[in-house]
Amino acid sequence: MEARLLRRPAASCCFRLLSTPSSATALTTTTTTGRLFSPASVSLQNTTPGAARHKSTANRTKRALSVAPHTSFISESAGEQANRIIFNPPSSAPSVFNTPFKFLPKSDPRRALNPAALFAKSKTIKYNNTSSDASADAADPSELPVIGKYVGKQHHLTLEDVEEMRRLRREDPVTNTVHALADKFKCSRNFVMMSTTAPREHTERHFNRLDAVKARWGPGRAAAREERKRRLDMLFRGEL
Amino acid sequence: MPTTARPRTAVLAFQFLGCAYQPPAGDQTWAGQLHVVARPAAALRHAARPARLCLSATSTLRNTRQISTNGAAAAAEPYDDGTDHARFPPLEQLPPSVAGYPSPLPERALKSAKLAALHARLSLPAKLPLQTLARTLVDASADEHPNFNNSNLAFVGHTLINYHMAEYLMCRFPRLPMTVMYAAMEAYAGKKSLFNVARSWGVDAAAAPGGEVDPGLLQFVFDKPGVAMVRFGYKRTEEAYLEKYKWRRGISSRIMYDDDFGDLITKSEGIDTEAGSESDHMSYGNINTEAIAERAHANHVRAVVGAVYVHCGREAVQSFIKAHILSRTLNFESLFKFKNPIRELALLCAREEFEHPVARLLSETGRASRTPVYVVGIYSGSDKLGEGAGSSLVTARYKAVMNTLKAWYLYSPKEHVRVPSDMLIEGAKPWEPVYVDIGEIIAN
Repeated sequence: MEARLLRRPAASCCFRLLSTPSSATALTTTTTTGRLFSPASVSLQNTTPGAARHKSTANRTKRALSVAPHTSFISESAGEQANRIIFNPPSSAPSVFNTPFKFLPKSDPRRALNPAALFAKSKTIKYNNTSSDASADAADPSELPVIGKYVGKQHHLTLEDVEEMRRLRREDPVTNTVHALADKFKCSRNFVMMSTTAPREHTERHFNRLDAVKARWGPGRAAAREERKRRLDMLFRGEL
Repeated sequence: MPTTARPRTAVLAFQFLGCAYQPPAGDQTWAGQLHVVARPAAALRHAARPARLCLSATSTLRNTRQISTNGAAAAAEPYDDGTDHARFPPLEQLPPSVAGYPSPLPERALKSAKLAALHARLSLPAKLPLQTLARTLVDASADEHPNFNNSNLAFVGHTLINYHMAEYLMCRFPRLPMTVMYAAMEAYAGKKSLFNVARSWGVDAAAAPGGEVDPGLLQFVFDKPGVAMVRFGYKRTEEAYLEKYKWRRGISSRIMYDDDFGDLITKSEGIDTEAGSESDHMSYGNINTEAIAERAHANHVRAVVGAVYVHCGREAVQSFIKAHILSRTLNFESLFKFKNPIRELALLCAREEFEHPVARLLSETGRASRTPVYVVGIYSGSDKLGEGAGSSLVTARYKAVMNTLKAWYLYSPKEHVRVPSDMLIEGAKPWEPVYVDIGEIIAN
């Protein structure tokens, strides 16, 4: 859907014809997700070529394409203009050598200084040492979408529950799979795997079946699996 | 098609000089004009040493150094290979007996241009004599006698370098996990980096050691590593089982028993001596020769540090180590390898009583395209701990978590921290205790 927005200028007339309900829904979905995920999406929407190049006159187009200056460069009075610090660093990935405030030990003098609090009232300086994008921090973090669920520790299972879980798994491991037990006892699969063991025959059968499946893999799929594993290793070594 | 003129060729008279027939290199029994002295070093290596220093005074000087006539043609004219001796005078006139020694005589150090240049290049203090500098260049494999090789100086230097390295790392990055600390030690003061330091100093190796070699060249042999004690640690009694049964070698036991880089103390220091002696004929450019060359160069650097300490004292050696070894750049970020970073970060936050870390999507672009980019931030409560970008949500989350953990581990009180050895300087300010971390999140 987004690919359609980024069409070539030559195809603009087609786009105009296509701006019927179907592509309008496409547009709205894009913007809503954009608003959710990207805090800077409002200005982005104005500067997308698809939206901006359709002004009737050159002057309007120029005005639509113009980007507002950074807040550091805007000031009300001449005196303020003359005497101030412009803080507008280029966007870049944050360095791991800038320790977040929360990670500073109690004895660290930076904790007493607290530069973020010092510059909190400043209009021009946004002190944030762990961020590449100041606008992202301006948004409330609780509004940003969460990746990965975390239920938290519940500690609701008793010793009898665990015994029962073990008995079920021991007696019928085919029906009482790890997933099924986790759903039944409302705990994590990790907890089920930590506290129960399937009978040896079941485990062997399971792994034999897995080996048979792996034996059926062709060279392409086998190589792809191998590469996936290696990519993960590289990621953990910080090479990706 | 353009034509080109043929190049003019001419043979000038001087090009024939020295082109007379010479016997093949291996043929030593030929009529005898040219006879390269086979060094009798091996035979004389174990000869009585005390007589060594007075030999040069009693022996007579000969005109030829390495090329001498054999016994049958001793009375004949020395072979003239057409060299213009007025223009290229012989380098040094040596008594033939020097070739019998395994390493150059100490007094020859005063005449070596290479050695003087090295001394000046390193800005070594005048207190450090050239003779000692010459001794730092003799490896234990070239000369087994501990009074003439560098092994004692190298051991002193090894302990000094590693002490200063360790105290700097502990004060500068107090939260580094021990495995990363070992990797950093190795990266700063290990064999490979000290080899690079020696190469950057312009130290060249002699083709083969011997008494006739310029004392400004590093002298070692490839075929036998020599006996030199330049590590500190214990030899484990269970060493044989570690490899055989894949026994675990935990961090605590590594700190207790193994050397300064967390490596096992073995008999041969990782150099396969048996294989080395078997492949003697091809003793150039394999893994063993590389390891031996690295070790010899590293021991030279350590010996220079030891010599600076012996002649000039503690403060001089501290600044020497700081200038040549501590000043090297190391990307600490690249030393980390994680196993389960998400769990590690959760444990860290639980231990430090922070809120559970939550990954949130900060921004994204091109979700439906071939090259999407997601930027994920890690939040503990409303505080942001770190962020990372990746081409999938899983990758970006992993990267963000790893960056957060690195930000924890790479905490540094300040760039130029005071270390305990700074207190040994006269008139030092009172000591302020450094930050000491409570320990690792997941113990290995």
